[in-house]
Parts: sequence; structure tokens; C-alpha cells
Amino acid sequence: MPQLTCIDPNDQAIDVTFEPGETVLQATYRAGVDGILAECGGGCSCATCHVVLNADWDGTLDAPSVQEADMLSFAIDPTPHSRLACQVQLIDKHDGLTLTVAKRQY
Amino acid sequence: MKIGIVGAGQAACTLIAELIRGQFDGEIIVFNGESHSPYQRPPLSKSWLADPTETESLRLLPEPIERHHSIQWIQSQVKAIEPDHGVIVTNNVSYTVDHIVLATGTRAKKLSIDGLSSEKTHVIRTLDDVMSLNSALDGVANIAILGAGFLAFELASSLKHPTRTIRVLAKGIRALPQISVKAADRLLDATPASIRVGVTVERYDEDNAALITNHGPIPADLVIMAIGAEPNIELAHACGLAANEGIPTDAYMQTPHPRVSAIGEVSLHEQPHLNQRIRIESISEANDTASTLAKRLLGQPEPFHATPWFWSDQGDLKLQIAGLSARTDEETVLINSETECVVIRHQGDRVTAIEAVNAAKEFMAARRLFEQGTISLENLLNAGSVFSLLQSSRS
Repeated sequence: MPQLTCIDPNDQAIDVTFEPGETVLQATYRAGVDGILAECGGGCSCATCHVVLNADWDGTLDAPSVQEADMLSFAIDPTPHSRLACQVQLIDKHDGLTLTVAKRQY
Repeated sequence: MKIGIVGAGQAACTLIAELIRGQFDGEIIVFNGESHSPYQRPPLSKSWLADPTETESLRLLPEPIERHHSIQWIQSQVKAIEPDHGVIVTNNVSYTVDHIVLATGTRAKKLSIDGLSSEKTHVIRTLDDVMSLNSALDGVANIAILGAGFLAFELASSLKHPTRTIRVLAKGIRALPQISVKAADRLLDATPASIRVGVTVERYDEDNAALITNHGPIPADLVIMAIGAEPNIELAHACGLAANEGIPTDAYMQTPHPRVSAIGEVSLHEQPHLNQRIRIESISEANDTASTLAKRLLGQPEPFHATPWFWSDQGDLKLQIAGLSARTDEETVLINSETECVVIRHQGDRVTAIEAVNAAKEFMAARRLFEQGTISLENLLNAGSVFSLLQSSRS
């Protein structure tokens, strides 16, 4: 199965397997990666599943929707590579990539 | 310490997750009366109904937490509780615990309609409810939804299909009475359902597959009741607690019985945002009450102080509400553009809620402002947007 490497808020690297088609939230949440709260359960309504993708993700994703970008602007210390994990759908191409969970979700 | 949690919904699972993350060193026994592992309810009427995939996508607890060694899962209904002795009884087993948490939630209200069979009657509350609705949709041309709240219109959006006519039947004088007329209009303009208000159902005519109402016959191959929920308070009564509208607790989720706490939408406690004791149905209430109890059980008590928030997805429209208003609160439109709509609900100068349609920034700014204290209508109108008011409050 394809997998991601997730750096949690304690700087631990965790390998997370995923099924293409599921979201980063579904994969990381199932694996119990620390620091992802997802209060609304993946509805793009709470901005508590903030992750930062590293540069290798560039070109593999559509830009965030207006809704997601607006929610992200309220995350703690968003960066240009910030995304909400619930809005990022994984494909085979993402196998082997790395992301970092935000230090704080609120 | 051994804790028995009755229920396995959002509040129960948030409590479990926070206890495990907080290094709780006792044992947890969870009584799950449903036949599924804990799952998320909000998508049931939204994305999941529109596109049901495997139930794994609804998972509510991370695997390492669900399988944590300190948790024992009992897949059984609780039949009785003897709180003085900390005893919880299922069908054939008694469990003894030090503290009992009632997270029993609510159940969908059902209306009994003369002539309408149970096969044609649906409610949406549990995963089984949605699966049963899904399996009944084949060849259905006319769906009647009783009730005209968020659930009714979420269902209408999710069930939209070229071969189906969906009718929302409201008993009252308007649809979406929980929110302002202006915000409701934005959502109702986009709904695939046709709406009738002031409808009283008399009976169901099986031969013609129609609801007989004061507006005449209304075609209905199946009927979905989305007329609200009522709290599951029977076990609280069994504990000797006086529960009516909900299970009364203090600001630490403690009921009058020292061995019993209550969390989630069944709990009835002071809402600091409103200065009022009221039961609230929302995910924020489930999470925030669970979090308050977790802190207490972990030895770091802090009183409940959260501001409620809500959201509803209807097709491309997303309504987000920060705060909570009474139906009688005044409404003042703050922003009304092609794309966004933001309405202020207020009692005089005190803002009670911000209703945002496709305006996430305004919604999040409102949540932050409510966390800081009260919002003044005058200040908000002068600022022009919730976001500007938040920025000026920070500078």
C-alpha cells in the first residue's frame, strides 16, 4: 500500500499507509497521528486539521477552494504550503511524500 | 479509577480520546448500544448519503485509541444503573465502576401517521437509519420530508436525483425558522425541494401513495421524518435524577449524583454564551462538554466556557453559525453579495449569533470574537465585517 510520512507536533516521524481516493485526514486520523483534531469530522468547517505539505507535493494537487483558503487563514501560523487535511485527496502519486502536522490547531 | 461510559457517539468518543491522550491511568468501559464501531454522524445526512462509500470513512476514533489496552468495549444496550453502587447492567452482565458517564444522546422524534407503514417511514439519526433509507430508494419518485430544519434541507440536497421529486412539508409558517429570513432565503433559493408551509398531515393513503393533508393529497412513496430529536433520559431517571428537557449538570458536567456525570447533547447546563440553562444539539456541544469532563477526570478541572457553533452543507452552499440565537432575536444583514451572505442576530446591541453562508472567514472571525467576550452590534456595523472587527480588536 502507498504511504505518507507524517511529522507530528512532537517531531516524531510516523509512516501512514493510505488507499488512493481517501483524504489525508482519513489516513492520518485512522493511524492516530497526534495533533490532528478534526472537530467537525472533515467538513471543512473548523480548521483543526491543519497540515503543512513539503515541496514534493507541488503540482500534484489543485489549489485550495475559497472556503478552505478562508478557513486556513484562521489556522495558527499558516504557510503557503498549509492545507486542511480533510480537503486533500490522496492519489498514487503521493506515495512516499512527507507532511508536517501543525504544532497547534487552535 | 474505573469509568463506565454509556453511549459511544461524538461526546463519548471525544472523552475517550482526551482521557487516553491525557495519560489517564484508570480503566474505561464503554457501552455501545449500536452494532457499529463509533462513527461520525454529521456526514450521514450530507456527503455520505449523497455518495455512500465504505463505513470506514466514517470512523470516529483513531485505531490506536479505539484499541487502547485501557478500554473495554461492550456492544450492548444498558438496561439498568444502580448509581449508589456504581453498577451498570446490560442484558446479562453487571459491571461495577467508580464513576458513570451518561452520554446517551438523543433520538429522532417520530410522528405516528394513520395508514403509513413502518417500511415507508424513515428517520435519520443512526448509520442503520441511513442504510435503511438507501436500500429503500430504488424506484422511488416522490419523497416527502416532514420538518423544515437543517436536516430536512441537507437530506433534500443529498437525495437530489432527476427522477425524484422531493417535497419538504413544514408544520410552521416558514422553513428554516432557526435562522434569519435572509440567510434562510439564500439556502432555500438553491434547494432542489419544493416547500409547503402550514401543513398538517391527516393520514396516509396507501392505495394512492400519498399523504392526505390540509393542503390536499401530497404524493409520497416514502416519508422521512426530520422533526427534531428528543433526549435519551430514561437511564438518568433510573439513576434517580430529575431529568426532563435533558440531564442537569453543573459547569463541570457533574449531575446531582456524585457518581454520575452527563455529557453531549443530552446534558443540560448553564451556557455562558447565553446566560441560560439550555440543551444544545451540535458537535461543538458534544466536544466541549466531553473536554470539560476529561479535564476534571484528569485532575485539572475547568468550568465549561465554550461558545456553540454549527454548520450545514446543502449542495454548494455552506452555512456556518457562530453563537446561538433565539428565534425571536432581531436580524441585521451585514454582507449580502453575489457570493456571500452574513447576517447578525442580536438582542438590542448584544450580538447573539453570526450566520454566514459561504463566508468562512466571517464565521471563523466571529468564533474568535465570541471567545474574547461579547460583540456589540454598533461596533460590528461600524467595522463593516466581522473580520475587520476582529482585526481592530487585535491592533
